[in-house]
Parts: sequence; structure tokens; C-alpha cells
Amino acid sequence: MTIAVAMRRCYSTKTIEDIESELEQKGAEYWKYLLTKAMQDKSLDVLEHFTLTFLVEGTGEAEVGALTRAFPYLHSTRLNDSDWLVSLNARTLVELWRDHRGKDFADRIVSELDSRGTCPIFNELAFGERVHAS
Amino acid sequence: MRVKLLYSTDVGALKRVLAQKGVPFDPEALMNHVVYMFEIEDCSRVTTHQLVRHRAVSYDQESQRFSAATREGVVTPPSIQSNEAAYKAFDEALKTVYSSYEKMVAEGVPKEDARYILPSAIKTKLVMTLNAKSLMHLVWQRTALQAQWEIRDLATTLHALAKEATPEFWTKIIER
Repeated sequence: MTIAVAMRRCYSTKTIEDIESELEQKGAEYWKYLLTKAMQDKSLDVLEHFTLTFLVEGTGEAEVGALTRAFPYLHSTRLNDSDWLVSLNARTLVELWRDHRGKDFADRIVSELDSRGTCPIFNELAFGERVHAS
Repeated sequence: MRVKLLYSTDVGALKRVLAQKGVPFDPEALMNHVVYMFEIEDCSRVTTHQLVRHRAVSYDQESQRFSAATREGVVTPPSIQSNEAAYKAFDEALKTVYSSYEKMVAEGVPKEDARYILPSAIKTKLVMTLNAKSLMHLVWQRTALQAQWEIRDLATTLHALAKEATPEFWTKIIER
């Protein structure tokens, strides 16, 4: 829904409340249509409004350091020897998943989203190949 | 201008994770992890041109390629509003511009081309997402007295909304 709000903002003169009610009324199929269009048009900027923060456990400094150097919009804070707080937006997650340097890490995140049932429309459209293969 | 906070990070959830790991809560160390999404309506394009100079921010703005411009939809600076002669000059220029815009659209010129004549005073709408670190920098710079009145109003409102939603992150910034 967050991504759909950002998309509609670009092409609508309506107030945000009207955009939100329009999206509520039209429902998940419409959000799916908008997100499909964004992915097809490669307009990934709208994905940047959907942000995620994770506790990443059992991961060494080398792996997290390599990721933060390769993906400047991925932010990490060390909590202790092997635990990290990691924040990224949905665009960065897609870029990680499409890049061999970030694919394994992105797979872990997408599995976590799947297991929690978080943002299923986004997961299916952005990572459908992986979801269908599992 | 109207500003609405659409979303902010659940700081309580962050605190629970830190407590679970025995790590003390330190807002300064977590600034990159706390994110705000705002919607801004009816500010001028003058101000959004200043706003987008803040780089580590995601913006999506109402497109003039598809939406029609109207004479009512402009921001008039107080210095013009309060000066009769200046306001007359401003208003006359707008009348000419909008008359030309409407004429071009009526002639079949696409809105995306007719818009080249539109003024920077035109009102716009956008959504903006940024983390606490970027917002703090924006607030620090744009609430300064040297900043222009409209973006200063915007930065003051963004600050107030962020402070209300996540007070722990706004205890150290200097109140101007």
C-alpha cells in the first residue's frame, strides 16, 4: 500500500486522504496492478518509500561490511560480535536480490518476509521466481 | 501548505530488539534506522527545488505532465501579498501565463509541453521518505534564519511531526 500511495501521488491531483481511500476501495488487485507496472517500467524509485529494519544474527563483520560497501543505501549497526541491526528500502532489497554480491543475504530477508506473511504482493512480484521455486 | 506524517518507524519495536540483545538504547546510533514518510501538499515548486537538494531522501512528486494547472494553485509570498503594486504585477503576470497555458492546451499542445510556461510559484504535492539522520540535517539547515520563509515553515512542521512521533530522537537538536 505504501508503494501504491507513492505511485498514485505522481499522477493524481487528489489529496492524500482521497488517494488512500481510493486505494482501500480498489483493494489488493489494484495495488498489484500498480506494483506490476512499476516493476515492468523499471520505475523502482517508488519502492524506496517502503523501508524494512531487521535483526540479523550470527553474521560476521566481513559479510555485513562487504554489503554496506557495495550497497550504500543499506545501513547497519553492530549490536554485539555477530548481531546487527540492518535497514534498507524495498528498492535496495530488489537490487541486492538481483546482484550476486547480495543474493544470499536478500534470500534470507525474503524468506523472513514470507514466513511472517509481510508484504505478500511485493514479495510475489519482486521475487516471484524464488517464491515459486521454493 | 499541509504536511502529514504517513509513516514512521516503530521505535518501541527497536527498543525491544535492543533489550533482547542487552544493548542500551542510544538514539544517535540508530538514526539511520528510524524512517519517516511525509506527504506535503500545496507548497510551491520553488520550495521543492530547494528540498530536492537534500540527497539521501526519496521523493515522488505530482507530475505536471498529466495534471492541469490552474490559476488558483499558486503560492503568493507575503512580501508580494502585502504590497499592492507588487501584487498587481504578480497577478497580471500570472493572468498572462495562465491565459497562454490554457490557449496552448486548447490548441492541442500536450500538457507536458504547455507546462514549460508555468511559474515556480505553482503549488505541488509530493511524498518524501527519509531517515532521522537526513531529517535532522534538513531541519538544522532549513530552520536557520537565512533559509527562505516557505521551506523554513516546512522544516519547522517536519520537525514538529517527527518529534511528536519519535520524541527520543529529537532531544538534542537545538531549538531555534
